[in-house]
Amino acid sequence: MDDLELNTLWKEYDRRLEESRVLNLQTWAVHRQTFEWLQTQKVRSRLRPMGVFKGWAVFLGVIWVLFLGLLAVGDHGKHPWFTGSIGIIFLFNVYAIVAYLRQIALIRQIDYTDHIVETQEKLAALQASTLRSTRILFLQTPFFSTWFWSQRMITGNAVGFWAISVPVALLLTLVAIWLYRNITLANANKKWFRRLIGGIEWSPILRAMEYLKEIDEFKYR
Amino acid sequence: MQEQFLQQIEANKGILFKISRSFCHGRADQEDLRQEMLLRLWKGLPRYDPAFAFTTWMYRVALNVAISWQRQAKRNSGTVPFMDMHGEMADGADGTHPRQYPLEDQHSPMILLQKHVAALKELEKALMLLYFEEKSYREIAEIMGITETNVATKVSRIKEKLKQAILNDKNLVYGRS
Repeated sequence: MDDLELNTLWKEYDRRLEESRVLNLQTWAVHRQTFEWLQTQKVRSRLRPMGVFKGWAVFLGVIWVLFLGLLAVGDHGKHPWFTGSIGIIFLFNVYAIVAYLRQIALIRQIDYTDHIVETQEKLAALQASTLRSTRILFLQTPFFSTWFWSQRMITGNAVGFWAISVPVALLLTLVAIWLYRNITLANANKKWFRRLIGGIEWSPILRAMEYLKEIDEFKYR
Repeated sequence: MQEQFLQQIEANKGILFKISRSFCHGRADQEDLRQEMLLRLWKGLPRYDPAFAFTTWMYRVALNVAISWQRQAKRNSGTVPFMDMHGEMADGADGTHPRQYPLEDQHSPMILLQKHVAALKELEKALMLLYFEEKSYREIAEIMGITETNVATKVSRIKEKLKQAILNDKNLVYGRS
């Protein structure tokens, strides 16, 4: 089979499928706004399963952040370790929510008139970047083990504090930093990664990451 | 502006039909995809640079929409088997009476080529669609956003892959080795 035959086969199929090709442009011109509305509804309905999860994630995130804010402010600085820990957790979560909303907005603003590889890369990168902002949340973990600390515990030489609380906080710090550094595209195929970042809610992000690899191969190999 | 835009689209509507057919299965979905392409083209019109051919720009927007559409469809329902598209092809001109093709036609190189092109990855499919539409390597590079050398290498590699896949299928059906 030679190249010419391949091209002939393609054209033959095309010829057989020669449709009436009625694009109905006049109707489109008259009802353009209605079409726009209909398309928006269709896109929304296609995205609904994913959107419901994301919508809930943002909603619960905001409630959580408000709760943390109230706790931190309500303490009036009476317990510095408590206020400090809660304040830091609050900031991590605010960052994640803002980054998440920004990514959704950017995905919607993608310019389809750019080169195909460039546009697809931007789209996939934005989808995958959800992971980057989420992995930052792992860094808040150690602060969940420090909120109940007090000056009295530190200066009182309590055995429980130095033998349990401090090692636990250090261990969580090490694990959090390790996760932050290792939850990357390069490790996406490793077993521990798949176990940790599994589930339906993560699959679009993992697929976007795989697509990024595919685009990279397409560009350079 | 809208009138001029519609004239250009009317003159090149074949592009939208060919792309929607290659990336999307089922007439209703193809129609939906074409509507979305039209909207994206209309919205992107202010960014069209007349220094380039209108068709080059049209291919770029339409393929970008089609690739994103297919990826979205995969996310929602997995891959769609090729036979669905073939089923659409077997419809009569009015879309209501099925037109019967002889069984041997389903294993003909023409259908096998469509099957294997449909199974290509999205970017490879876009590239081959442009190649089969007899676009120059330069124009393909301009639409895809890769170098001409890269286009040439990829086209040659994918063509070999397609030829081999068709031959393998034919051998399987007719029991030749």
